[in-house]
Amino acid sequence: MWAYILRKILYNIPVYLGIILLLMVLLRVNDPVYAFLGKSASPEQIQVKRHEMGLDRPFLAQYRDFVWDILRMDFSQRSWEQKRPVGQMIRKAVGPSLAITAPSLFLTAIISVTIGLIASFYRGRSVDRTLMLLAVLGMCVSYLVYIILGQYFGAYWPRKALGTSVFAVSVDATVGDEAGYFFVPANWVRFCMLPVLINLVVAMGYDTRFYRAVMVEEGTRDYIITAKAKGASKRKIMFVHMLKNAMIPIVTRVMITLPFLITGSILVEMYFGIPGMGRTLINAINAKDFPVIQAITALLAAVMIVTVILTDVLYALLDPRVRLQ
Amino acid sequence: MIRRVLRSRGVRKLRQNRWAMLALGVIGLYVVVALFMLATDAVEGIGQRTGGFTIKDRPVLGMLLVDKTLDRVGPNSVPGFFLRDRPERRLEHHQAYLDAVERALNAKDPEAALAELRFGSLRPADLGPDKLRELVDEGWALFDEVDEIYEQIDEAEGQSPGGDQATAPGAGEGEAPNIADLDAAVSDKIDQIEPIVRALFPIPDGLDGFLYRLKMLLGTDRQGRSILIRTVYSIKIALEVGFVTALLAVLVGSILGAAGAYFGGWVDHVVIWLFSTFSSIPSLVLLTVLAFMFTGSRFDGTLIPLYTAFSLTFWIGPCRVIRGEVLKVKELEYVQAATSIGFGRVYILLRHILPNTAYLMFINFSLLFIGAVKGEVILTFLGLGLKNGASWGIMISQSASEVIEGRFWQISAATAFMFGLVLAFNTLTDALQDAFDPKHVS
Repeated sequence: MWAYILRKILYNIPVYLGIILLLMVLLRVNDPVYAFLGKSASPEQIQVKRHEMGLDRPFLAQYRDFVWDILRMDFSQRSWEQKRPVGQMIRKAVGPSLAITAPSLFLTAIISVTIGLIASFYRGRSVDRTLMLLAVLGMCVSYLVYIILGQYFGAYWPRKALGTSVFAVSVDATVGDEAGYFFVPANWVRFCMLPVLINLVVAMGYDTRFYRAVMVEEGTRDYIITAKAKGASKRKIMFVHMLKNAMIPIVTRVMITLPFLITGSILVEMYFGIPGMGRTLINAINAKDFPVIQAITALLAAVMIVTVILTDVLYALLDPRVRLQ
Repeated sequence: MIRRVLRSRGVRKLRQNRWAMLALGVIGLYVVVALFMLATDAVEGIGQRTGGFTIKDRPVLGMLLVDKTLDRVGPNSVPGFFLRDRPERRLEHHQAYLDAVERALNAKDPEAALAELRFGSLRPADLGPDKLRELVDEGWALFDEVDEIYEQIDEAEGQSPGGDQATAPGAGEGEAPNIADLDAAVSDKIDQIEPIVRALFPIPDGLDGFLYRLKMLLGTDRQGRSILIRTVYSIKIALEVGFVTALLAVLVGSILGAAGAYFGGWVDHVVIWLFSTFSSIPSLVLLTVLAFMFTGSRFDGTLIPLYTAFSLTFWIGPCRVIRGEVLKVKELEYVQAATSIGFGRVYILLRHILPNTAYLMFINFSLLFIGAVKGEVILTFLGLGLKNGASWGIMISQSASEVIEGRFWQISAATAFMFGLVLAFNTLTDALQDAFDPKHVS
């Protein structure tokens, strides 16, 4: 097992180095200093800024240093816009992002697996058809529309019509600055629950269809026929035999949706004003804040790589055959 | 060749699927509309380049050019289907018309100003300045009356705070008038303004009138632009984005995947490294980096950033699938037979293996098409999309501020048109999988 994990980690090192290379090249296509300072900057100013960031050195030296920085988790470079160390900005943003992503991921997986099971249990009957029709229809509407309408009907409209609302329209100035603010249950319900619900509805369409297909396919396997032949009840077959074997595709799917949730939470964070990673990143893009963009993108890519490795390890845990390949 | 394809088992199965045929019909409709727009665009382009002619002023041909998506057709935020808006908003709409005429009348040369005055595609009635002045004054007089009634309403609300519902209708004279009655009076007065506005700006008869009504059918956005024109124009953008990116992604992905699987060795290693690298970048990170890269460049605001972003992220799916399928197919007996006859490797790949993965390419094309159409909305929000003209992304992003005010026409129109296209493609994808993928369970 450990050899397998080690192999996976070793395999993903060149992949990550490649990603960093790609990101750094793409970010330097348009001169970042020039983009930040604008046309009115004097050549001296540009030169000073460039030197400060080390952008005047050869690319390979920059690459080596940045990789070294990531290895040490040292993000002490200062943001151009906010004059704070990038690491501090990231540490502030991680909490709010997690407060939205983690519950979304968890709830989506549980609810859509359940619905997938129900649909495959009633395969071909009206329950199944209705559920799948709803899933398809739900998939045809843009994510942004869900957010805009969800925000209006979940927060604006109740406040206007009823005078009060459980959910806040967006995060405002009264929000505390301490690290765990969004994890306090009352605050979480007020600011994060509506975004999580929206994420849930959006992800549901894709996921229920997928899980249903997995379950239906699993239901045609030989071991199910054996279980039926030995007289196991249909319920037991569904929830004991099938669910266990369907774990691999389920785990893959949950892991695949992780980046989607990072994506998703960027939009949700923008609309609900949640000061998470996505919002920090978009604000940095708009302000042309090069150090912040470089650090956050590299970090998100690292998160992604870790998920990939974790997926493979989980695979191996769930299915011993995988380890031998 | 075509006849053979049409008679194959999968295609027959597809043709028997009613929903799939319906979906194809819907997609066909969208394509026809888009082709019309492409054609008029091309004609206009030729006309401009040669300097010879322009079709901008043609009522039907010029209706769906880019410029038309930015033109004012009526007052701001008019509801669709000619529904009556709330009284305050109707007042605003009427005021816009009256203001326009009054401004022209107050110009140095009223005759010339009136001749040039356009409210959207409407022109003022040919009555001469004096008559128009009379009409405008009559309109403003009614506005004053409405203001008076509003004052009375304010007073009445001040006298009986919260209890206005309890006042019996038709209570005796001398008492404060009922608020419901006053509201009715307001809306009555506004009804009287309406004919004046129509007299100032008569809706033309015949084709022009029909087109005007068509443009106002789904209402206008905050800048008074026709929502219908903008939504329909967006079909072209959506199909362009979907078609180009899906085609590029499927082509690149299939070539890489097939080459990797078939030739093996270092080629396969490179392909695997490429797609594991690209799939390990969260697509949004790549997109934001591209947004940073493209802002300020000369491609900013065109579709090029969209194409680049989608092509870089979308090719992974088809590449993986085709690679897996080719790995399987290349071990089959008929491929071995072809090898033993002495066909070249590239020939076998192109002639014998790739056609057997074609169904996967179609399915992936359809899937990526949906991805691109939906992704356009998100990328536009992130600033990677079009900046000029109209697209569903632009419309939905813009409608956020309208929704807060309770106006849903723009967001509904864009969503409905997108819904139709995406649903058709979803249905088609499912039908394709049912028909061609023997392993697929439904």
